[in-house]
Amino acid sequence: MDFKDYYKILSVEPDADSKAIKTAYRKLARKYHPDVSEHHEAEEKFKEVTEAYEVLKDPEKRAQYDELRRYGGQVPPQGWQQGGFSGTQAGRQSSHQFDGDFSDFFNSIFGGFSQSGGGSGERRSGSQQGFYSEAGFSQKGDDIETDMPIFLEDTLTNTSKKISYNLPHRDGQGRVSTVTKTLNVKIPAGVSDGERIRLKGQGGQGIGNAPAGDLYLRIRLVPHPLFDVEAHNLIITVPLAPWEAALGTSLELPTLNGKIKLTIPPNSQTGQRLRIKGKGLVRKDGHGDLYAVLKVVMPAATSAESKKHWQELAASNAFDPRKEWRK
Amino acid sequence: MQLSGEYFSFEELCYATEMSSQTVIDIIDHGIVEPVGSDPDSWRFSMQMVSISKKAYRLHRDLEIDWSGIALAISLLEELDQLRDENRHLRKRLERFLGD
Repeated sequence: MDFKDYYKILSVEPDADSKAIKTAYRKLARKYHPDVSEHHEAEEKFKEVTEAYEVLKDPEKRAQYDELRRYGGQVPPQGWQQGGFSGTQAGRQSSHQFDGDFSDFFNSIFGGFSQSGGGSGERRSGSQQGFYSEAGFSQKGDDIETDMPIFLEDTLTNTSKKISYNLPHRDGQGRVSTVTKTLNVKIPAGVSDGERIRLKGQGGQGIGNAPAGDLYLRIRLVPHPLFDVEAHNLIITVPLAPWEAALGTSLELPTLNGKIKLTIPPNSQTGQRLRIKGKGLVRKDGHGDLYAVLKVVMPAATSAESKKHWQELAASNAFDPRKEWRK
Repeated sequence: MQLSGEYFSFEELCYATEMSSQTVIDIIDHGIVEPVGSDPDSWRFSMQMVSISKKAYRLHRDLEIDWSGIALAISLLEELDQLRDENRHLRKRLERFLGD
């Protein structure tokens, strides 16, 4: 168990007054709040900062912590709280006790429950401020929110997906550990990015007689190598040789469910969009469309013969691509 | 595994978010979520609204921001999300267009 330097975590001096500590905490809490921050460790950082503030804002806890710090930051041995230190006894009697979200280090000093491991990507929500203090308390289980990656192909029909997620599990003594749960979830056709699906009662277990929390799945459409999503429409870029753009052609176009024949009209232009009706994503009231966006590309190398053809074209063509500049 | 209904009632929202009815009304009064329906008995909340309500409550609790501040933060965060999405989308499109 590592010693936690709460002063360092809040970037304050060990003799900082309570006002400075509060200001530092507020600044860091805003910076790392998981609902605001894009930082990849936002949740961990936020917890750390909250824990540091929980100790340093309370003169009694701060004094206890400072004493420990003076002893060279040795993590207290078993039974330390009972060993004559004034102040709080083991956690349950203190009036406000976080439900296991603080570190083992914190719990070893101030009592409480240890929580092993941590969710990967899941965010516990709802009852985090659900302090509990006495036996017999009952509280609804935590809601769990987690991302559910879905391939575009899978949104076309109703589908079934396996999902694994971590849940806090509380044993009879109130100790919290993490268990992994796996479910088969029916995903209805036509789900969209960011949509939420609620699975009732599949969240954390309730305390006492209270029911379990819910599981919220946030649909995340997995980026596709060929198709981009725009609402319910799909976009595919179609590379064309200059002569195909000039003369028109017919090609096989991939769609989400098989290939179709696409006719490119003569005199096509880069950026031009061709609409293929009904080949987009599934909507509640039908299908979106597929847009083929044309992109004229030059061959990497030109043979002597090709060069001759280009030269003939150049000599016989009055086309001025920079007409706009001469206005 | 059966999916539950698409909408929450006022009561269900209070229960799911563990907020008091007054807190939910505060959130609605500040336009943070706008339920369908004219009075509390007929209010319907989408899953999106449930999640916004929870986020609003967490920010209110953790950062000690008042509800009008939360309303502003939530709308700016939404806008930021949209712009990030759009930016990611346009970057991808540009890559496809300029790349080989």
